[in-house]
Amino acid sequence: MKAREFWLLFFPSLLVMGALLVLPLVRTVQWSFEQVRYGTPGTFVGLENFTDALTDPRFHKAVLFTVAVTIVTTAILLVFGYIIATGINRITTSRPLVLGIMLVSYVLPNLVGAVAFSWLFDDNFGGVVNRLIGFFGGSQVLWFTDQVPNAILVIANTVWHMLPFAMLIILAGLQGVPNELKEAAKIDGANGFQTHISVIIPTIRGVLGFVTLITIMDVLRMFDNLIPLSPQAQNIGNESIMLYVYSVAFADGAENLGLGSAINVLTIILILIMLIPFIRGIFKEAKAER
Amino acid sequence: MGHTKHRALPVLALVAVGIVALTSCGAGSRTDNENSTTVSCDYTAPEGKTTVNVLAYNSSAIDPFTDTMVSSCSTDDVTLKHDPIDFGGQVTKTTATLAGETGTYDILETYGFVIPGFGEEELLVPLNDLWDKYGDDYGLGDISESMVEGMSYDGNIYAIPMQAQMFVMAYRTDIFEDLGLEAPTTFDEMIDAAEAIKAEGLMDYPIALPWLATADVTTGFEGAMNSLNADFVNAEGDVTLDTPEAQQALEAMLALKPYMDPQVTTFDQPKVQQQMFNGTAAMSIMFSGRMFDLTLESNSKLFENFGFAGAPKVSDDAEYSYNRLSIDGWSIPFNTKLDHDMLFQMMASAVSEDASKASVPAAYPAREGMVTEKNSPYGAAANDSIASAMPPIVSPIIADITNEIRPILVSVLNGQISVEDGMAQMQAAGEKIAG
Repeated sequence: MKAREFWLLFFPSLLVMGALLVLPLVRTVQWSFEQVRYGTPGTFVGLENFTDALTDPRFHKAVLFTVAVTIVTTAILLVFGYIIATGINRITTSRPLVLGIMLVSYVLPNLVGAVAFSWLFDDNFGGVVNRLIGFFGGSQVLWFTDQVPNAILVIANTVWHMLPFAMLIILAGLQGVPNELKEAAKIDGANGFQTHISVIIPTIRGVLGFVTLITIMDVLRMFDNLIPLSPQAQNIGNESIMLYVYSVAFADGAENLGLGSAINVLTIILILIMLIPFIRGIFKEAKAER
Repeated sequence: MGHTKHRALPVLALVAVGIVALTSCGAGSRTDNENSTTVSCDYTAPEGKTTVNVLAYNSSAIDPFTDTMVSSCSTDDVTLKHDPIDFGGQVTKTTATLAGETGTYDILETYGFVIPGFGEEELLVPLNDLWDKYGDDYGLGDISESMVEGMSYDGNIYAIPMQAQMFVMAYRTDIFEDLGLEAPTTFDEMIDAAEAIKAEGLMDYPIALPWLATADVTTGFEGAMNSLNADFVNAEGDVTLDTPEAQQALEAMLALKPYMDPQVTTFDQPKVQQQMFNGTAAMSIMFSGRMFDLTLESNSKLFENFGFAGAPKVSDDAEYSYNRLSIDGWSIPFNTKLDHDMLFQMMASAVSEDASKASVPAAYPAREGMVTEKNSPYGAAANDSIASAMPPIVSPIIADITNEIRPILVSVLNGQISVEDGMAQMQAAGEKIAG
């Protein structure tokens, strides 16, 4: 491809990326050092926004909650995504139907899905889960006001929403595993579990790394599902970083756009830190393939 | 046959996913104006095509007025555009559109709570001259004087009052009659009634109040303080969140808690309505605009068993009822480029006598004497309630204080901090805003 053709084809993408990604990022970094209100030029305040964020116990709680949910959710998604993908990989005729049904939770808008999901735990709207707990003799669980039950509820919803994506990607990976490898393992006397651990999982580790990467990025920016699932998020310590940003920068007419931007910059740093092992892995693989 | 079956399954699955996706995309359709009232809207249209952007949240009490304005004032050349939005979204968009020299909206739905702040910052157009000019044409003299005052600040009218909402009590007449109970007039009587209902084993949580931690809970606290003739600040602008009235209000709220769902701080008004629909609560206090839904057969099989009464007092000796008077109205943002005369006439048309009449019983119009016992099932209760509400204290900082103290108030109600600590923290937060 000639250089001219390359730039002709690449330029539109560069323009879009610049306008929608780079420019807002630059503005976010700029605002993080300013006190900003809607429609007014910012006033430079140095590191004040960062100091405010880092010394706010609410920010600490939000980081702790978000990171904990991210780690637990990612682990569950990998395990269950792999198990379900393995099951679906074995079925043939009904696979499209099963996949179609499973995808419903993924195509639903996050907020709509979360509202419907919250009803499973809400006695006002049926509360099927509560009825089941009562049926088996359990006592009332305060899903929306107790920290741990509420965190379980949030994690369950996130897993319910994202499991189809993880499963689909892993399924694609499983379909790329050569049959010869599995047959060789069988001939060598490996049982099913050993084949998965020693043959299949190492073969698709790139795919599993990709799922992990996407899941971490997705869960770290968790926001809208918390509105119906955790109406008391701030008080019980189940506020995500993005919900905290929204509350500081926008909610109830708030106008601390500078502080919100500083928290966003800190979140980007956090995401990069959490992704370092996976980014290093990708670079290593790319280097090895050269 | 085998092939057909093989193809049918993926097609079926794709159709199922597609339907869900399409249904999701359909959420948030534009306002339906088919049933709106048509009124006269005689303004002088500007030359050329013009779009008037209207910002108003959707609710059964606001929609009749918005729909009337949009359908009556739109012509071939002038289009009134109103997209559906919830209250929280409206608050955010209002802040954004009023922030710069150019805004997105030309007519804003505003409410008494924010008028002083906007008035102080000169973000809305004072309407006094336009009121004098067009008042007779649109019968604005029939609008309640106190509601006009509620939409004014420092001598300027900043909104044409459209409708008001006040706290009204809804209760189960069947249960109250069976147990020989009267509609409660104080918090103590509410507790007595709740005890009696619990003792009969009829329900666990007979009292339902909207105390959502991110919204309504501060309205409840302010209502309790108002019952005691106090507010978050006094007439001089001093913060009063560490006063005996604040303490009594907090203790009164805590006294009701054992009779409410343990997760009451996650309940907004629709959830309280749901408790009433389901029969899991026997009495509730909400804004009057929520009462109409209780009377509809389509919402609950208990629709004939709901009675209505004025809001109760916090205590026997309280001067006013546990109440908030919230007035909604139409305002012109300072940064609209459109003709103020045209916009004022559009707003005045939307609150005309015909439009106001048509909004009953879903709304409580700002025009005097519109709501009666005959035309509204909760009309008498609403009139009683409005008569027992404390006149509002006008202060530009109350809205900011309300947002700041909300999490502290929730911590007190949840028992995470004591009443005394809560009062001290709220006072400090309030004083920080007051400067």
